Amino acid sequence: MVKSFSKALSGWIKTAGGLTIFLSIILAIVITLDRGPYVLVNVVVTGGMLALVAMVLAMILGVMNVAQFAHGEYFMIGSLTAYYIFTPLSGYLDQHPGAALAFWAPLIAILGGFIVGGIAGAITERMVFRPLRKRSRENWVMNTFLLTVGISVILVNGHQLLFGPDFKGIVKYWSGAPYSIMDVFISRDRTYVFFLAIMVVLLFWLFMAHTRTGRAIRAVSQDETGALMVGINYDGIMMLTMAIGCALAAIAGSSLLFMFPSYPTVGLEPLYMAWIIVILVGLGNIMGAFVGGFIVALLKVATVEYVGAGWDFVIPVGIIIIVLIFKPSGIFGTAVRGVLDK
Amino acid sequence: MLLEVKNIDAGYGFLQVLRDVSLHIDQGEYVCLVGPNGAGKSTILKVIAGMLKPTSGEIRFQGEPIDGLPGNRVTRKGISYVSESMNLFTNMSVEENLFMGAYTIKDKKIQQDRLDFVYGLFPRMAERRRQLAGTLSGGERKMLAIGRGLMPNPKLLLVDEPSFGLAPQLTENVFASLDTLKEGGLTILLVEQNVTKTLAVTDRGYVLENGKIELQGKSSELAGNPHVRKVFLGV
Repeated sequence: MVKSFSKALSGWIKTAGGLTIFLSIILAIVITLDRGPYVLVNVVVTGGMLALVAMVLAMILGVMNVAQFAHGEYFMIGSLTAYYIFTPLSGYLDQHPGAALAFWAPLIAILGGFIVGGIAGAITERMVFRPLRKRSRENWVMNTFLLTVGISVILVNGHQLLFGPDFKGIVKYWSGAPYSIMDVFISRDRTYVFFLAIMVVLLFWLFMAHTRTGRAIRAVSQDETGALMVGINYDGIMMLTMAIGCALAAIAGSSLLFMFPSYPTVGLEPLYMAWIIVILVGLGNIMGAFVGGFIVALLKVATVEYVGAGWDFVIPVGIIIIVLIFKPSGIFGTAVRGVLDK
Repeated sequence: MLLEVKNIDAGYGFLQVLRDVSLHIDQGEYVCLVGPNGAGKSTILKVIAGMLKPTSGEIRFQGEPIDGLPGNRVTRKGISYVSESMNLFTNMSVEENLFMGAYTIKDKKIQQDRLDFVYGLFPRMAERRRQLAGTLSGGERKMLAIGRGLMPNPKLLLVDEPSFGLAPQLTENVFASLDTLKEGGLTILLVEQNVTKTLAVTDRGYVLENGKIELQGKSSELAGNPHVRKVFLGV
């Protein structure tokens, strides 16, 4: 039995995906031993956020065949909403310290970002993509890509116009002493947000794998016509996919408000990172995007540790470029059929 | 009349494919639509199934107009469409595909009953229930596509080229299954290029050429028709 397990394992390692995961685990262990556990904490928190944002980008690409370049703007909507919900609440809390609200206020802000992001996604689908679908499917990928660039311009400048270009940040979400494990101090914010992220990803997986609607979404991504043939409401699924995708991007933004203040172009980095991850793992591969989020976070953290903070974009992207030269379909392979053919 | 198709014009962009096509099917009939390549046979099925909007004309199913309805609504009315390219969910297993076929059925017991029915009709599918649909052979995919179409217990089954690309034995199997379904009371509209076999098993037929219905009548009569014999059998 041990023999067959080790045989399966060595077979898995020889695949591109297996090899990458294996090397990543080795790298993570090495740098943790060398620099200390706080590195691992950084990887996990950053990785969680990247995984979430990349996963839903992959979903939107796979299900709707839309190359969403305004994805970061929904992250921004989340963080903006959370700022405007939390700031008055925290003003109240300053005058009434110790109120029970102290625990719930950040969650209200985070959830608010989630809801507003979802609504924004639904509006986008209804007003931008559905009319185009009804009109013509020709050049769909290129046309929708251009539209998302336009959406991005509108949202970024809308933020600046209505709320100003300043950085809107908060000091912290939750007060209290940081938690400590293994000589590492982790702030309450990071701890709670980490657990929140796990819950969100878990719920997302349960939804996609075990509910009727989740199965319908997966069916649409595999064969549109087939989905219609079995009675799935195509427009409804498109709306739901967009709403979920944008809501999850927004909750990443709202929960990380303590790390990234809100400003018009805050969505740019999440956008680039999400796209890089999605391209690296293979277009449309949602599970791959989840794993890829952590791998890229690891590369970033390792770069910052050993090379310098300014290189944290250059070296990971450089490594990815090299990987793509050898495996253009991505390390986990693409699950999308004919994205570039439509 | 179960299905009435009246004066349908349809096409793709600037290319008009169907011209003034009319046909009808009664409950329990086994009807075929034959014609040369490019005649528009697949197109008429797509229009009936809601995958393509006609530019003019009317379609009535059980008296209700269904032209212009999207594919998912047509399925819910009781029409199942099995396309030529099958449109299976390649990354899902055979059983998952079949359950997706029962998407419109809420009752789990009914879903299971339908699954048992399909497995009874296609035992090969039961054997491969956990296999990914993308890895099935051509004949197995056809079976799965038909099986999936049967899951919602449709009143009308539209089948596009069931024997295309299949070896003779598999073709026999597929036609035998369709016969069984017909015996069970299902109404079937079959589109096929294999004229001889099709006219032998169906009740009535329509001959489509260049987007127009050229001939119609009982299949046995069409089989003896000199025009049919000349065009399709080269006799």
